[in-house]
Amino acid sequence: MLDLLAYDFMQRSLLAAAMVGGLCSVIGVFVVLRGLAFVGAGTSHAAFAGVALGYLMGWPPLLLAIVFGLATVWITGWVEERGRMKLDVSIGILYTTTMALGILFIGLMKSYNAEVYGYLFGSVLSVTPEELSIIGALTVLVLGLLLLFSKELYFIAFDQEMAEASGVPARQIFFLLLTLVALTVVVSLKTVGAILVFAMILIPASTAYQLTHSLATLTLYSATIGIFTSIAGVLISAFWDVPSGPAIVLLATTIFFIAVFFSPKRERRTRLAHTH
Amino acid sequence: MSDPREPIIRFEHASFGFPGLIALKDISLAIYDGEFVGVIGPNGSGKTTLCRAVLGLLAPVEGHLHIFDCACNELRCYHRAKIGYLPQKGVVDRNFPVTVLETVMMGRYGALGLFKRPGKKDRDIAQEALAQVGMDSHKDHSLGHLSGGQQQRVFIARALAQQPKVLILDEPTTGLDITAQHNVIELVQQLHDELKLTVLLITHDINMIRSRVDRLVLLKTRLFAAAPPAEVLKPEILHQVYGKDLVITEKDLVIVEDYHHHH
Repeated sequence: MLDLLAYDFMQRSLLAAAMVGGLCSVIGVFVVLRGLAFVGAGTSHAAFAGVALGYLMGWPPLLLAIVFGLATVWITGWVEERGRMKLDVSIGILYTTTMALGILFIGLMKSYNAEVYGYLFGSVLSVTPEELSIIGALTVLVLGLLLLFSKELYFIAFDQEMAEASGVPARQIFFLLLTLVALTVVVSLKTVGAILVFAMILIPASTAYQLTHSLATLTLYSATIGIFTSIAGVLISAFWDVPSGPAIVLLATTIFFIAVFFSPKRERRTRLAHTH
Repeated sequence: MSDPREPIIRFEHASFGFPGLIALKDISLAIYDGEFVGVIGPNGSGKTTLCRAVLGLLAPVEGHLHIFDCACNELRCYHRAKIGYLPQKGVVDRNFPVTVLETVMMGRYGALGLFKRPGKKDRDIAQEALAQVGMDSHKDHSLGHLSGGQQQRVFIARALAQQPKVLILDEPTTGLDITAQHNVIELVQQLHDELKLTVLLITHDINMIRSRVDRLVLLKTRLFAAAPPAEVLKPEILHQVYGKDLVITEKDLVIVEDYHHHH
């Protein structure tokens, strides 16, 4: 295994995986707490449609992924704010519509394009130096904004109306969160793919949720789990020659079930059940 | 302290609601610095709307509302941090991962403003707020593991951490057992007395607050009364609002039909 680490491509993929794993797991905390799980799933499919359109038209795929991703989250946020439609309905419609667009764009392409499928299923082992620097720049940007607005983000995740009532610009912060979710999805497309990126956002935070009663600890645990499973997943992928996306996600899922099993919250519930 | 008769909240013929649905109509009411005001009325009478209006979450569709020196005809009012608010709430998600101190610290966030990180001073303020509600020994506990009454105390501490001038409580005793209900109201009274806070307490339990408040505000879309309890709690006045749902016992207890809270 040590020989593998000497290769440039291996170092690049480990670095990309660590950044994407860390980023997804930190934003995941806010996604899980604010109840935006389904929004993440919808966004990743919308971003993929953007990638497909990019390849079809010969435009920069990541740029279109950002446009599609942002349009989806902003429409979703706007619909939720207006209370016109339930969030799961609006995102469900956008989710399937953008997926249909993605399939349509692929169908319109004259020839089979393996790179497009790379964005669907993820291929961290083929990350180029240019892609690595894009991932690095976006990771620094998103984490920086998360850090800068962390107290407001925690507050709206806990209770948005209360946050607004006590003088926090809650609506703007909510849209900032949606924007950061979209950017995170785009950053992660190349490494884990549109289908699995959402697991990277959801699973580490949900695992940490089982293990602590403190917001600060939750974020720390989530980031640790996210970075660890991403790096370990890439190593497993390279060593046993299995696809990297599934290796990362299945490893994370295994840790999730272990956490559920050993969760102090679970113990407490059983104890309560016995005393009642 | 400023002049006790200086109104800090002033409604002038203010109406609130949406086109086709008026929640509060033509309200004229002045609330003075340091007053303890109870807001009563049947379910759906606009009590919570009154709260949201004072918090600047809802602009009047007609008339005016002034809070402190700020005409809150538009939704953005940066005086919000000076108003502590305890929303009407069900039980919090028992597993939501937040500690008592983290919850109370959130009260500092609006007051601090964007880009400022909470420091030692803010933690001291939060700890002091917890001490004021008698929950300082629980600061590292999980919020979800506390009883309903304890959670209300923590949320009151969060409001106090804003260092507010006004405290608004929307049905703070809902869902609590009788002892906890009394303890919460007792605490509110104590905070009013000690911190000289202006308090707006919304409740359906008239008997619990009648001996404590300076004035009762009686609402049912319109303002029916805003006067000391003895002047408001008269059958002829209450009947206008509660109709046949009202029973006044021989011991002068006021009992009203209560179909939204099942005890």
